[in-house]
Amino acid sequence: MLKVENLSCGYGDRQVLRDISFTLAENQRLVILGPNGCGKTTLLRALVGVIPFEGTVELDGRELRTMTARERGRRLAMLSQHSSAGFSYTVLETVLMARYPHLPRGLFSSPGPEDRALAEAELKRLDLWGERDRPITELSGGQLQRVMLARTFTQSPEIILLDEPTNHLDLKYQAELVRELKSWTERPGRAAVGVFHDLDLALDFADTVLLMENGEAAYIGPVDGLRGADLSRVFGMDVVGHMRLSREKWEKFGG
Amino acid sequence: MSKPAGKFVGLGAFAAVSLILGAGLGSVYISPAGILRALFGGGDDSTRALVLSLRLPRVALAFLTGAALAAGGTVMQSALENPLASPFGLGVSAGAGLGASAAMVAGASGGVLGALVMPAAGFVGAIVAVLLALGLARVFDKRVSGVTVVLTGMVLSLFFSAIMDLMSALNPEYAQRIGLWQMGSFAAKGLRGVLILGPVLAVCLFIFIARAPELDLLTFGDEQARSMGLDPGRSRRSLIITVAVLTGTAVAFSGVIGFVDLVAPHVARRIFGARHRVTLPAAAILGGSFMTLCDLAARTVASPREIPVGAVTALMGAPFFMYVFFRKGAR
Repeated sequence: MLKVENLSCGYGDRQVLRDISFTLAENQRLVILGPNGCGKTTLLRALVGVIPFEGTVELDGRELRTMTARERGRRLAMLSQHSSAGFSYTVLETVLMARYPHLPRGLFSSPGPEDRALAEAELKRLDLWGERDRPITELSGGQLQRVMLARTFTQSPEIILLDEPTNHLDLKYQAELVRELKSWTERPGRAAVGVFHDLDLALDFADTVLLMENGEAAYIGPVDGLRGADLSRVFGMDVVGHMRLSREKWEKFGG
Repeated sequence: MSKPAGKFVGLGAFAAVSLILGAGLGSVYISPAGILRALFGGGDDSTRALVLSLRLPRVALAFLTGAALAAGGTVMQSALENPLASPFGLGVSAGAGLGASAAMVAGASGGVLGALVMPAAGFVGAIVAVLLALGLARVFDKRVSGVTVVLTGMVLSLFFSAIMDLMSALNPEYAQRIGLWQMGSFAAKGLRGVLILGPVLAVCLFIFIARAPELDLLTFGDEQARSMGLDPGRSRRSLIITVAVLTGTAVAFSGVIGFVDLVAPHVARRIFGARHRVTLPAAAILGGSFMTLCDLAARTVASPREIPVGAVTALMGAPFFMYVFFRKGAR
């Protein structure tokens, strides 16, 4: 579905990413791993069109740069971390906004019955229908993030880009979000690229890993092929040992 | 009747009351029936002349100006994702002030020609200021993000204000007029302003309401807006230029009148919610009504003297804004 070739980009004169290449097939879940500042979020921002880049990115053979913002919005959606909302839209209004790239062009176009049915279905599925008239400014961080998840699904993209979507969420919501996203990517014609702060969560979600080191790809391949030594070199610490220690600690609590 | 429709009926009633009070109260009281009679060509000559030549054009200009500033403020706050953003913060007031001051100092403000030159100079100044702010923002930040636009607008406003202060200091004979112009007034500016601002407001409001979904997306930030299929930089630029045309036209006739652009959008959002297709017309009607009442106070409170309407909007708007804004924050 997605083919990234020699993607390089940065902010002003500072180059952050160099020659990143990977492909993303239908139903694939790729997670980008690496320490802070290695360019994980920059890669997502380049894909969504916030940062200009060099190299080529193709969606089903079509160069991303030749697509209009609306075309891109119909195919790619980004779910970021949300801990607060600025304007007091209701839950339903917020979710319906995601239909914007699908609306017919023209003055005064607005979501129709089909768009409303889609939003309603997603809100019901995520147990948010009862909250549809509540202003999002009154929601907790966890509730707001679930609304944003419903909005991302309502956008009906082919690929979802995840930028640390589980930050600020408690454990229950983190697990629920990852479960929902996994189930979403299993439907036909869908895939996801994600960045997670939590390594456990990242490896639970992913089937493929892109390990980044100083803006370059240090490893790209299946989760099972990832080596502890690579992780430790990139993160500058004994990652596997650290995870084992913490696991032992948790095991003491019993079931 | 749906909830927003019911609220709009209430808002319409508030607007009607403010217009009737504005047209009826003053040195001579005219009853609502008297106003209607004058409108349809009845009543005595002096009342008809007072209503048609003085009161109604003034009230209409005040209403249209308030509506223009409120609509401009609503768009700016959303397009820049900043609840404190306003057209004036982007240099509209400083640019218009500089344009008008330059016209005064150049001696072009007197006579019949001056009545045309002053608004034109104010309008050109406002547009130049906003285009300059947007141009500079684009130089510093190719994506024209909200923060960059706010910062360049702020710096340019201060720069233009400094030039204006310099003009006042070097031309003391104009200092008082420049100062008064900056405080705004609707005195003796009636019909011409209405005939120009009315159509400009109608076209700009139409554009804003048609593009309301873009404004909704912009409030969530550039990354989210782009992810949902909007080009935020392009959308923001064209919306801000439309705001500059609208508010530049408004201040060109009335001078600088603050706070309406800040207060009305917040009140409208509290009553009607955040969706721009509903809140934009509501903010415009609220702003128009508020301005009409402020102008009524400006010409009646210290009668026969008239106080600058900008002072009244600030005196009434500042505490009200604090109440609305901080009460929201406390919740």
